[in-house]
Amino acid sequence: MSFSSENFFDSLQGAIAYLPVTFKLTIYTFVISLFIGGTIAIIRNYKVPMISQFLAWFVTIYNGLPLMVALVIYNLLFMTNYDNVARFFHISKTISEINPVIVGYFSLILSSSCSYSETIRGALQSIEQVQYEAGYAIGLSKLQTLYRIILPQLVPVAIPGLINNLVGTIKGTNLVSAIGILEIMGGALTPCALSYSYLEGYLAAALVYWLFSFVLETLAKQIEVRSTKFRRQIV
Amino acid sequence: MGKYFDFERFIDTIPKIIPQLSVTFSIVLVSMIVGTVLAIAVAVLRIQRIPVLHQILGIYISFMRGTPLLVQMMVVYYGLPLLVQGLFGININTWSTIIFVDIAFILNEGAFLGEIFRSAILSIPPIQSEAGYSIGMTRLQTFTRIVLPQTIRIIIPSYGVDLIGVFQNTSLVFTIGGVLDIMGKAKTLGTATGHALEAYLVVALIFIILSLILRFLFFLINQKLQYERR
Repeated sequence: MSFSSENFFDSLQGAIAYLPVTFKLTIYTFVISLFIGGTIAIIRNYKVPMISQFLAWFVTIYNGLPLMVALVIYNLLFMTNYDNVARFFHISKTISEINPVIVGYFSLILSSSCSYSETIRGALQSIEQVQYEAGYAIGLSKLQTLYRIILPQLVPVAIPGLINNLVGTIKGTNLVSAIGILEIMGGALTPCALSYSYLEGYLAAALVYWLFSFVLETLAKQIEVRSTKFRRQIV
Repeated sequence: MGKYFDFERFIDTIPKIIPQLSVTFSIVLVSMIVGTVLAIAVAVLRIQRIPVLHQILGIYISFMRGTPLLVQMMVVYYGLPLLVQGLFGININTWSTIIFVDIAFILNEGAFLGEIFRSAILSIPPIQSEAGYSIGMTRLQTFTRIVLPQTIRIIIPSYGVDLIGVFQNTSLVFTIGGVLDIMGKAKTLGTATGHALEAYLVVALIFIILSLILRFLFFLINQKLQYERR
């Protein structure tokens, strides 16, 4: 057994063919989790009674659950309970017609929302109380203060942490391969089943992941530079 | 088959899974201890900015950060025997799987902890090293006796987050096959009895409780190390 560049390029092609799957998983998860995580952070920041306590408990506990374990459990529940739920809602599709990727999305979004909310909450806490008071003093409502004064200041503070979270999400999408969804790694391994060239397959997958996260990270860094523009102008 | 979730079966599964925690802990311990040593070396070498080595370490860190741990693990598992065979002519295919897992985790931690250590070392004011040199300490003495002890307090919070991350990452190890950590045991129990849900729920519970305990421990340590506040 030795390294064969021919098998490596076969795997590389397979990996690139499935790059859109990982891309979609990453972007959808990122956008939706950013929205949910932001909402959680704002609710906890304003200490909305009942809901904020519940969310605090939920986020703390859920952060202790590895994504892989969650994914396997949700997949099991999905497999065994789908028929009952579908009958209840009068959905005529059978389980074989449903794409299992929704289980992947569900677990990815749930765990990402929790970790993003912590990042955003950390950034929210760095904004001084005076900023809220200034907003109220000029007659803005709570919501207006949030949208016009707090959130614009939040963006540059939260972005470095969110870039880390984005890289984490890219790596998290790799785990959905455990429930049988073909993404970069699955695509890279497809040619290996015949040639048993698993090293080449995994190396090809690693290369594509590396480039993908490098490109996304570089783009995100550009946004970071842009968002901190106003600070540089003042100084 | 009976009920899908049975509470009694859930309780019965707990004693079967708990012993496998030793495997999980061994991975965490080995990768944290060796990983920390590697990380300090990586951080120091990165700060020294030795021409070629600096770029190589930069690529190493970027690779470890940008690729999923699962893929890294598999690359080590399939690649290392080939590399060692080629370089030294030693066949290590017979080694236990857990050694490859440990190596993958150590390499991963070397990069992540390396970045944590690097920023911590850089945050120590240079005047501290100068003080060390002025009383006649060598560079190594200054680093180990003056700079390194001061970084410990700074890295504790990130170190805790990283440790919990490693602990949770051990849930990936079962995919490689042949390693019976808590997740692997749950999978085997599931295939043997046909009731996987209870076993996985036990694993989830163990992960959550231990993560919370670890978080609380690091919170206490951090509190203890806040000297100025007292």
